[in-house]
Amino acid sequence: MNNKPKIGVYVCHCGINIAKTVGVDSVTEYAAQLPNVKVARNYSYMCSDPGQLLVKEDIKNEGLNRIVVSACSPRMHEATFRKTLVEAGLNPYYLEMANIREQCSWVHEDENEATEKAKKLVASAVVKARLLEPLEEKEVEVEPATLVIGGGIAGIQAALDIADAGFQVYMVEKTPSVGGTMARLDKTFPTLDCSACILTPKMVDVASHPNIELMTYSQVEEITGYVGNFDVKVRKKARYVDVDKCTGCGICAEECRLKNRVPSEFEEGMGKRSAIYMPFPQAVPAKFTVDPERCIYLTRGKCGESPKCVDACPSQAVDFEQEDEFVDVRVGAVIVATGFDVFDASRKPEYGYQDYDNVLTALEMERLVSASGPTGGKIVLGEGDDAYTPKEIAFIKCVGSRDESVGNEYCSRVCCMYTAKLAHLVHEKIPDANVRIYYMDVRAFGKGFEEFYDRVRREGIRYIRGNPSEIFKRGDKLVIKAEDTLKAMPLEDEVDMVVLAVGLEPRRDSREIIDLLRLSQSGDRFYMEAHPKLAPVDTATDGVYLAGCAQGPKDIPDTVAQAKGAASSALILLSSGRVKVQAQVSVVNEETCRGCTYCVEICPYGAIEMVEVNQMGHQVSVARVNEVLCKGCGACVAGCFSGSIQQKSFKDGQILPQLAVLGVM
Amino acid sequence: MVDLDKLRTVAKETVSRDDVKYLIGWSQGTFGFRVSPHFVKEPEEVDSLTFSPLCCNNLATYLTLTEKNPVPRGEEADTRKVALMVKGCDSRAVVQQLVEHGVGRDQVYIIGCPCEGVVDVKKVEKKFGELLEPVQASWENGKVSFQLPGGQVESLPREEVLAQNCLTCRYPNPVVSDILLWDEVEVKGNDDYEDVKELESKSSQDKWAYWQDKFTSCIRCYSCRNVCPLCYCEDCILDRLNPTWVFRSTNVAENTAFQMARAFHLAGRCIECGECERVCPVDIPLMKINRKLYKEVHEKYEFEPGLDPETKPFQASYRPDDKEDFIL
Amino acid sequence: MSDKFEPNIVAFLCNWCSYAGADLAGTSRIQYPPNLHIVRVMCTGRVNPLFVVNAFQQGADGVLVSGCHPGDCHYMEGNYYARRRFTLIRELLEYVGVDPKRFHMSWVSASEGAKWKDVVEEVVENAKAAGPFDQFRRNKINW
Repeated sequence: MNNKPKIGVYVCHCGINIAKTVGVDSVTEYAAQLPNVKVARNYSYMCSDPGQLLVKEDIKNEGLNRIVVSACSPRMHEATFRKTLVEAGLNPYYLEMANIREQCSWVHEDENEATEKAKKLVASAVVKARLLEPLEEKEVEVEPATLVIGGGIAGIQAALDIADAGFQVYMVEKTPSVGGTMARLDKTFPTLDCSACILTPKMVDVASHPNIELMTYSQVEEITGYVGNFDVKVRKKARYVDVDKCTGCGICAEECRLKNRVPSEFEEGMGKRSAIYMPFPQAVPAKFTVDPERCIYLTRGKCGESPKCVDACPSQAVDFEQEDEFVDVRVGAVIVATGFDVFDASRKPEYGYQDYDNVLTALEMERLVSASGPTGGKIVLGEGDDAYTPKEIAFIKCVGSRDESVGNEYCSRVCCMYTAKLAHLVHEKIPDANVRIYYMDVRAFGKGFEEFYDRVRREGIRYIRGNPSEIFKRGDKLVIKAEDTLKAMPLEDEVDMVVLAVGLEPRRDSREIIDLLRLSQSGDRFYMEAHPKLAPVDTATDGVYLAGCAQGPKDIPDTVAQAKGAASSALILLSSGRVKVQAQVSVVNEETCRGCTYCVEICPYGAIEMVEVNQMGHQVSVARVNEVLCKGCGACVAGCFSGSIQQKSFKDGQILPQLAVLGVM
Repeated sequence: MVDLDKLRTVAKETVSRDDVKYLIGWSQGTFGFRVSPHFVKEPEEVDSLTFSPLCCNNLATYLTLTEKNPVPRGEEADTRKVALMVKGCDSRAVVQQLVEHGVGRDQVYIIGCPCEGVVDVKKVEKKFGELLEPVQASWENGKVSFQLPGGQVESLPREEVLAQNCLTCRYPNPVVSDILLWDEVEVKGNDDYEDVKELESKSSQDKWAYWQDKFTSCIRCYSCRNVCPLCYCEDCILDRLNPTWVFRSTNVAENTAFQMARAFHLAGRCIECGECERVCPVDIPLMKINRKLYKEVHEKYEFEPGLDPETKPFQASYRPDDKEDFIL
Repeated sequence: MSDKFEPNIVAFLCNWCSYAGADLAGTSRIQYPPNLHIVRVMCTGRVNPLFVVNAFQQGADGVLVSGCHPGDCHYMEGNYYARRRFTLIRELLEYVGVDPKRFHMSWVSASEGAKWKDVVEEVVENAKAAGPFDQFRRNKINW
């Protein structure tokens, strides 16, 4: 084929998305007279089958060797049209797109202005297309293993799916046991399944699966590498208990000097534990851990004559000499399933969460109603002789959600349903309780949700529409000040207990994972997916996937579905065994390179090294790029004074003509 | 102080070494106040070497000579050392070249000459006229003494004859050397960047008018680039046609682009030797531009190039807390 | 009827953050002035500061470089290098007498569609105030 560029320009109407504001005919006419343009057409939907066929036919019949598609954003359909080129026998990198939708027709009202701008953008794409070169994507092998960060239901499900498919999984969980937040729930909506009953079998599976290496009480320290070849360093924190000897009998916790003195994280502070503890009886692994921040021996250097746990343990499993251990593993894919934190209710001081013992968060209430909780499932407030069963109980929804004043504009999705569930459980345990729920809206969107909501209302639980302004104490009672907006009546409601339906927030330590993996955050600060509709489990980094509430608030069915989706995406990589790495890498002109090593210093991936070459009898040192490690950022190119290193598809010689075209006119 | 006998002895010894290709120093020029760089290969030639306030040339620029002539078949490339005589500023150029691997530390034998400042030939020629006979000069008690043709000796205060950047010089002693020829001198200069600040205080229009006036005279002779010890790309990006960054026409728009590009490429690298301004045939105040970026790098990032051979190059490094007050 | 000057602005946007943010502004149908013409690069680290000088020579009245927030660069460090380089070129441009209202840099993340609109409006307003930039223009060549 003749190497002279023969460019085909295709202007998409995108229905009326582009055609309503941009004069597609006039743009096509303009494109047709640009240098080297052989064909210029416009069509209603370029990405559709007939649209792509237009391109393929022209390549065949007109001998086109460069294609310009002026349509939506390349972030949308660049991959689609690259495929079209491949199917027509053309190198996929002979494609250039002009974004005349997201960055033109959708943002400019004036038709003249939008059309003129579209013409300029098309001219810029044409001038670049003229200078494009064919590129090859190199293939690398994929390590047949996956890293799952997070041992909640999302991580567990993803790990099980991948392991069942026959691939190795390394699961890293920060706390001493897997299970996550789901292990702390009593019943789940709308079916009222016992949460632990459906979760614990999966927890046991994950610990005993031959393909899963479970590392609890561990953290990911560092991840380097690229898709198919991630090098992971895991820190296994010291439990100060030898897990091979520990039988989980619990005698150490019974003997501990701090028995019943340390607030339990699992019980959300509603119950107490010892300094040596198992988070909950069904913990997996069923081993004990010493809390290094509370243990008297670790914080003060001695515990009486000798630590009681050491003496009491029948297997001599307590070992205060233990140190953190580091493990290196290599994986092909990473799944981030780190879950969420609940909103800190003290940030709404008007609700008195910090001031009054009988204002609880929903998670604290969850522990109260749990049969395995601190009160054995009885809803009881106060202690000892002062214990009493509340009769007047109120729930307040949207605490920390849909609230700009605390920086959470989003809806947390699960609170309407869990409030209905908790209200139902209250009614079940205290039949003569008077339960009311203060709401702004009721979102019962899922399968069985609306039916459950109806049932709860039929049980006599009152829904009052109005967002309370404050809660204060009057004598023994709490008073909720609100307005019933349906009756247009202000009211003061005297209750014994208030439960705040706190929203879901991104983990407070989410920055750690961001730094590890270069993840982005959405506006709501949860981890960002590659595309909100079409790629909800992918991230901008190839080979890294999201599952569960780490990506956004959701309930258990959606979490499990997403975890299965993430597992499936990882399995695509693992089962094919090979992956293509991006082709727009940098390359050095060794003739002009003067060996200053600036590019080597600049490259964030260490993809460039110096090599000795013989130039006309002299041994000189020049730079050379490792094309597999190069990610195509181009930082080296801008740092090279001699212009010797250039990024394919983004060469200086390809960008400067674009500036020329954008300036003229 | 300056000991010419010591200089010549050391030079002779050095040139006689087996592992030294040649020595680069200064010798008397052919006329007036001129001094010429001298490549000494034979020990006999060392007698013409000198060191005086007239030695303005920065010899470090010859270290990166593109001596890459093809090696004839059967022969090996000559990889012996080059011995180089350096003043304070010259040594900083060598350090910067070391940082950038333009030359290897084992490729150069550095002979350090602590310097009390060299003259600005234009200032001196204004005072004495353009003389034909060669002139000698020396530093005497804080002044510069000229032995003019005809036997007359004139001593002038340093402020009147020294180059501007010698008056603000803070590094008169070589920062790196294999041998120091005489005692280090006292640091007399201090730099407030007055010349830069004066221009900074003008309005945008005045600044533009000032520079357009200067850049109009540029004839694109590339003397500034050729003499600069840190401009040593074999194929300069500003010469290239594919792609063409600047056109070769000498209209003011292209000249401005050329000067800005060169100044930017020198940011964090220029060691203020002042050679560029010295050799410019149309008297463009090039140091004013280079010093502006020197000041910015020094003040904003607390970095001065050419002092530490182990440091990372400025334009290949960053700090996560770099200032960003202008960024939206 | 006044002949209103509409500045011609070239913008370099990094693919992962600012380009995506501008796309989000589009999907959200946020309206803004049409003076910006975008050149897509993978990272602001790719943008050679001399592109800015070249853009002015080729006819731009204003230039914008926009990328990821520091710490969020998809390639880890590209925007840190860009930050240093563009701080210097900005000083140089101002020193040579180019109106500082002509060159801007911004950090716009992929979820900041609304911020993108604000950035565009500020850049256009500033370039309008600076007026047409004819003095730096390369002599027109007939292709």
